[in-house]
This record gives sequence, C-alpha cells and structure tokens, in this order.
Amino acid sequence: MADPTYIAQVLVSGLGTGCIYGLIGIGFCVIYNASGIVNFAQGAFVMLGGMLTQLLLMRYGVPLLPAAAVAIVVVAAMGMLLERLVVRPLWDRNATMFVMILATLAAQIVVERATLLAVGDQPRTLPVFTDVPPLMLGRVAISVQLLWILGASALVIAALTAFFRYTLAGKAMRACSIDREAAALQGIPVKRMLALSFALSAALGATAGILITPTQYTAFNVGVPFAISGFIAAIVGGFGRPLGAFLGGLLLGLVQAGAIAALGSGLKNVAALSMLLVFLFLRPGGILGAAK
Amino acid sequence: MKTLRSTTSPDWRSALRLLPWGLSALFVGYGFVAGGYPATVIGFALVYAVFVTGLNLFMGYTNQVSFGQNAFAAVGGYMSAVLTTTYQWPVVPAMGAGVAAAVLLALVIGYPTLRLKGHYLAMGTLAIGLITYEIAVEWQSVTQGYLGISGIPPLGVGSYEVTSDRGQLALLVAIVLASTFISARIRDSRMGRAFLALGASENGAMALGVDVARTKLLAFLVSAAFAALAGCLFVHVVGYVSPEVFGLHMVILGFTMLYVGGVGSVAGPLVGALIVSLMPEVFRGFKDYQDLAYGAALIVILIYAPRGLASLFDRAKARPRSADL
Repeated sequence: MADPTYIAQVLVSGLGTGCIYGLIGIGFCVIYNASGIVNFAQGAFVMLGGMLTQLLLMRYGVPLLPAAAVAIVVVAAMGMLLERLVVRPLWDRNATMFVMILATLAAQIVVERATLLAVGDQPRTLPVFTDVPPLMLGRVAISVQLLWILGASALVIAALTAFFRYTLAGKAMRACSIDREAAALQGIPVKRMLALSFALSAALGATAGILITPTQYTAFNVGVPFAISGFIAAIVGGFGRPLGAFLGGLLLGLVQAGAIAALGSGLKNVAALSMLLVFLFLRPGGILGAAK
Repeated sequence: MKTLRSTTSPDWRSALRLLPWGLSALFVGYGFVAGGYPATVIGFALVYAVFVTGLNLFMGYTNQVSFGQNAFAAVGGYMSAVLTTTYQWPVVPAMGAGVAAAVLLALVIGYPTLRLKGHYLAMGTLAIGLITYEIAVEWQSVTQGYLGISGIPPLGVGSYEVTSDRGQLALLVAIVLASTFISARIRDSRMGRAFLALGASENGAMALGVDVARTKLLAFLVSAAFAALAGCLFVHVVGYVSPEVFGLHMVILGFTMLYVGGVGSVAGPLVGALIVSLMPEVFRGFKDYQDLAYGAALIVILIYAPRGLASLFDRAKARPRSADL
C-alpha cells in the first residue's frame, strides 16, 4: 500500500476525475452567477452527455467526435428547455429558493427515470478516444484518456475565459453576476442571460460526462453523485468562482483517489460526501472565500 | 392576515376542513372492506403518511429544508431489521432502538448541519441522505448490500403477531392517527408555536425570545423520529429491506405527497400519502412511469400551487398575499 508507484498512480487517476468535477463545478457557478440559482439537476446533463454519445456511437454508428458534438448541442438545448419549462415559470413567480431547489431536484429525477425507461438500467461505457498504450512516466502509467481529459478541460477553460472576457454576451453575463438589477437597467436582457447560462452549464456538464465515460461508465443514476461532486468542487473553490471551482474539483479528485486507495472503491462517494460535510461545517466559504 | 372578502360561509368552510378526513376514511374503509391487495396498498400509504408527517413538521411548520429524511428512515428501518433477524430481538424493542438510533444520529448531524442556510443546508442534508444510502449498499456484513435482508418478522407484541392484511391495516391506522394527533398537539403547543414563529421569520422569532438554534434542532429531531418510525414500520410490514427502499426517490415521493396534501396542515400528510399511493392503482400501466410522473407532478404543483394542492381550495384567502411581498 505504501508503494510510491501505486500512490503516484492513484494521484494521476485522481487528477482526471478532478478535472471532471471541476468542469461540473464551473457549470454550477455559471448558472449561480447569472441568476443566484443553484441548479440541482446539474447531474442530469453529465449523465445525458455520456449517454447520448454512447447511443449515437453504438446504436447509430456515428463516429466519436461528431457524436460528442451532437450530444453537447442536444444537451445544451435540453438545458434551455429545463430553464424554459421549470426554472423560468418559478423565477417569474418569485419562488423561494427552497422551491427552486426542490423543482430542479424533481427535474433531475424526471430525467433520470425517463432515461431508465428509454435505455434500461445497464451501465454503458464508451471506448477510449484514442486506443494507444499508456505513456510510461517512470513506472507510472498515464493513460491517453487522461491526456484527453486534461487537454479538453484546458481548452474549455480557455474558451470560457475568452467568452467572458471578450464577447458581448459574456460581458453581459458578468454584469448580471455583479448586480442583476443594474444589469437590467443597462438594457441587458437578464432572462435571456438566464437561458444562456443554462445552455452553457448544460454543455459543460455534457462535456464532462463524455470525457469521463470511457474511464468509468454511465448509467441512468450516475447524475446525482456527479452533481454533488461538482457542487463540492464549487464550494471548495468558493461558490461563484469558476476557476476556484476547477481547483476545488482537482482537490476533490485527489482526495477521493486517496480514499479509494485506502478504503476501497465502494466508498468513493462516501469520501466525497464526507468532504462536502467537512467543508460545509468548517469552511463554507471555501478556500478562496465565496464570490458574494 | 384577515380578509373582508371572505365569500365562504363559516359552516361551509368547516365542512371543507373535514373533507380531507372524510376522504381518508373513505380510502382506508375501502382497504378494510376489500382486504388483500388494496389493503396492502393502503398500508404502504399509511407508512408513508407517518414519514410525511415528520417532513411536514420540519418543513411545513418550521419552514426548514431537509432533503435527507430518508437517512433516518434507513437507520431506523435497518436497525430494526438487523436486530430482529440477526439478534432475534422482539419487534417492539427493536423498533424502539431503531427510532432512538435515528434520533441520536439526527442530534449528532443536526447540530452542525442546521447552522447552514440556503443552498448549503439543502446540499448538506441531501449528502447525508446519500451517504446513508451508500453505506447501506457497502456495509454488506450488516446490511447484505443490494441483496437486502429478508425474513423480517411482522409487527406484533410478544408472541402475538399481526399477520392478516386487515389486522395490519388496523394497526397502521392506529399508528397514523396517533402520529397525526401528536403532530396536531405539537402545533398547538408552546413548542409548536415556536416552530411556526420560526417558520414565519427567523429574525422575528429570535426577537420574540425563541431560541432559534434549539428550536430548529428540536423540530429536526421530532421529524427524524417520525421518519425512523416510518422506516421501522416499512421493514416489518413488508418483511424485507434493501437500500433502494430508502433512496432519493423516497425524498421526492415524500415531498410530492406533502405538496398534494397541503404543506403545513395537519391532515395534509395523510391525504397526500393516500392519493399519491393510489395513483398507480387507478391508472393502469402507470407503475413504470411512477417516479417520472411524481417528479413531473411535483414540478407542476410547485409552479402553480406553491403551498400545495390544498391551498387551491382557499383561493380567496390566498389572493391578498401577493400585496405584502
């Protein structure tokens, strides 16, 4: 157990899942910043991303890259649909935060059950993106899928940063996160920003789901644990800070990998959830402090 | 708040107040007469009614959030199941131990958790429910994982076991009535007034001298006890327990029942549990779509009747509320 190669191996794999949690965590932040809503259906996007890609690939023989692209677009559209059907009506009625949470959680269940009915309860997996033997760094194997995850995460974060910094829509969303009323007075269509944030967040979740599926598996019920991991990442990084969320995700991934090595893989969710409770009780503002 | 625009005459309104009870009596009565399968379905509904009564106390009265009530049902249920099967305990002390264990857990968890607010409280309680579920799956030496524990003895005292459908139903009716009575008594007690004050405004309650932290914890413990009792009843009524019983769908189902019956009312949990449980029986082929439909129904109710379906009855009372926001 104390074998350094083994520990290094575990940490490397933790880095991969950490990136995934980070992406999901950023998804939470995007919606939260635009609207103050915490979307408890975030996990549904992750599950749908992996599931749709798998279906397109296996059932319809679409090559991986187009399949992934189609899945991301479809899930983004579903994010907007969720916003239109569930979130917007509640938002217009000034629903309390609790009602909003309960409604999005119910939406999560609806998506989960619909998926179960549509494709059954069998766990599914995707082939690794490029089927080549792992790189050896000393005696530590680094799978090429991990490189895909790292590369794609870096790309997504760069794209997001550019979006928020240079595009009009991105700037408008940032204005919303600073002060929604002032943003509305400046002529920013706040509701459209809400819809956009759901689309963006759903696309992020789907991307995360597609990247992680080859190394794990996807099934109708993987969403909630992923959502909670993403939420933990967001809290650890200080809620509402996208970059913090990504770092929080990495930290969670490493902690979880350590827990798997020490206690066995069955307890990985318990480890993550316990980390959530520790942070909630001791340092709810996260390491960097919450954005607001 | 008083409204002068009350169009309903007093006796009509009091009759309306009896409606949920009459409806419940009708359903339960049907279960008795029919026996067999209908009695089992009604029995399940009654078990859930106990669970929802606890949820109502914490959420309806105190206006707090817990998405982790399934944790306490699981602790109570599993404790009772393990004690009666592996350790051959009699049913009543085993159930007592199950409820006690859940309340103890609620005390340990509640103290740090209830200091949280908003999203943090919601996610924290959700995490507690999921941790419990995962432990039920993984701790195979005790819970036997997904396989579950079977051969759990039915409800009963000493050598007397309630095995007939109708006997079980009668016992459950008594327990539900007792729970509902306790819930009503709590609402009218000093403690209950503190709950309601807290629910209306935390700062207001504090200004009136309510110990907010203690009151929240107390409400949490009482609701955990109800959840645990429901968990215990479930395992003994069914005779079998597996982790799925206490999954996230239990939480959503509980909330759906509460919202159908009416949040914060005394009869709400019972009516809601009965109506929601009978849905799959009324509509054929509904079973597969059960959780899907409950989730969708809950969303629709949350949008169009945020205080529950029962609130639609007193529209006249609800109208002026928009003015004070």
